[in-house]
Amino acid sequence: MSSERFSISDERKAHYGRFIRQFRRNQKAMIGLGIVVSLFVIAIVTSLFPEIVPYDPGATNVPNREAAPSLSHPMGTDELGRDVFSRVVLGTQISLYVGFTSISAAMVMGTSIGIVAGYYQGLTDEALMRAMDAMMSFPPILLALTIVAVMEPSLNNVIIALALVYTPFIARVARSAALSVRNESYIEAAEARGESDLYIIFREVLPNCVGPLLVQGSINIAFTMLLEASLSFLGLGVQPPEPSWGLMINSGWAYMGDAPWMVFFPAAAIATAVIGFNLLGDGLRDVLDPKGEIIE
Amino acid sequence: MAFANYLAKRLGFMAVTLFLVTLITFGLTNILPGNVALLILGPNANAESIAQLEAQLGLNQPLFVQYVDWIVNLAQGDMGMSLRYNTPVVDQIAVRLPRSLLLAVSATAVSVTLSIPLGIIAAVKKNTPTDLTASMLAFLGLSLPIFLWGLVFIYAFALTINGFPTRGYVSPWVDPVGALHHLVLPASAMGVALTAYIMRMTRSSMIDELSEDYVEFARSKGLSERAVVLRHALKNAAIPVITVIAFQFSYAFGGVVVLEEVFSWPGIGRLTLTAIENRDIPLLQGCIIVIALIYMLSNFLADAFYAYVDPRIRYGGSD
Repeated sequence: MSSERFSISDERKAHYGRFIRQFRRNQKAMIGLGIVVSLFVIAIVTSLFPEIVPYDPGATNVPNREAAPSLSHPMGTDELGRDVFSRVVLGTQISLYVGFTSISAAMVMGTSIGIVAGYYQGLTDEALMRAMDAMMSFPPILLALTIVAVMEPSLNNVIIALALVYTPFIARVARSAALSVRNESYIEAAEARGESDLYIIFREVLPNCVGPLLVQGSINIAFTMLLEASLSFLGLGVQPPEPSWGLMINSGWAYMGDAPWMVFFPAAAIATAVIGFNLLGDGLRDVLDPKGEIIE
Repeated sequence: MAFANYLAKRLGFMAVTLFLVTLITFGLTNILPGNVALLILGPNANAESIAQLEAQLGLNQPLFVQYVDWIVNLAQGDMGMSLRYNTPVVDQIAVRLPRSLLLAVSATAVSVTLSIPLGIIAAVKKNTPTDLTASMLAFLGLSLPIFLWGLVFIYAFALTINGFPTRGYVSPWVDPVGALHHLVLPASAMGVALTAYIMRMTRSSMIDELSEDYVEFARSKGLSERAVVLRHALKNAAIPVITVIAFQFSYAFGGVVVLEEVFSWPGIGRLTLTAIENRDIPLLQGCIIVIALIYMLSNFLADAFYAYVDPRIRYGGSD
């Protein structure tokens, strides 16, 4: 018994080592990871030491509005004279906060639904997956903006909406991963040992779904960032005066002719963040899921 | 026959899904804050006339009864009256929907024109700097939200080059040239955003085909490389690409909600936003149901096409 456990854990260790080696050799994954880690560092450092950014993001200075980029304002100022650089830097917090909280919530809900569906199969599976199908029958942006609109636009409601929108995507991946291990001998062995369903789901099924779920989660974070920006742009997302990138583009657009920096820098920030998570997800997929079973 | 069974099963699923979609739509739109009768009558209405109108609209009935009424009318093609426009919702949608479909179809056409050549070039020059550049270009499309592509195109081609109109819509029946002129920027913006998936699928599918024996055989017959790639490999690589194009169409159709706002395109996407702004619940319900139905249908057709040409899919479980 004990020797068998050792061999399983050794096998897992070898698995893990192989994953790390392939991951480090994958250029896409490494560049993506670099961008994502940098964004995290910026978000964490600025939330721990808010005074590190040169200006208060809300401080207006109307006489100096729409000023072109200069040494004192490296990304210029906006229509109220606020420093664009400080706002873009602090916007990282909002974007990551929205992306991570909504996808974490979607991961918890989607994984539970998907694994329960895949493990129990039959009627449970049908009922759960038809409900997921129904949620996926709405274009993501439409579902998100309707949910936000009925609850009234705010940061937290955007997160709730995005979590709901992405739950079915996660659930599908979790279900197919759970289905693929359902009939493995180690599950049968656990059942024969008389282990509880919860034990089997958490200790045997879940660990084997981690790879595809990570890929899906990482790609979906990129999508939530795009959607958050779109919602904020439509006025149905994060509300002013929060320095959300989408919101900055929304208000800067009217000044595009005279002060393009008001739009350019937040747009570049969105693109960088989205590229980072997309590259990371893509690279992870190359390593974990070479057959391409993940849906986008 | 296996395909007929598959199709019947999928249609059955879709009926169940459609029922759930109506439940979600009705449930969501009924959470929307705001008293409908008060909205119609204005803030100075007295309690009596509000109660009277509520009775007339059936708003004093239990929610379940309201849902059944709504669904029965919906099945007969009656979506009620728009509160804002005071005309039948169906009429509003009938005018707006074709414009959105035109936009989505044009956007898909633009992305096909861009991505298939890019994908072929990338596949032929696999693992060279050309391949990397083509992949990165397509990837860039995916990395900006659709509305931002709209703004980029407005800025690049209208504000600076001063060529194309940035706002509004002209009917192709009235003025075909003007219609095309108005269509160029929004369709290109959306087309660029969609390029990545079609390009990637073309690339990987072409790479698979180019490694097949029949390609070697065609080459050994002395056919030019151009003929081998375009006439033989591309034909066989087309199936997965067509499926992705169908999925991209539904993605484009979903994206019109945002894109129409950027270009003041009076389609069903802007109609939805107007409905939300005005708390026009019947109009909002109608828009959501119609958009979801078309989105579902095009995804279903893509799935069905794929299953038809690739029998392995049918045996791959319920999805």
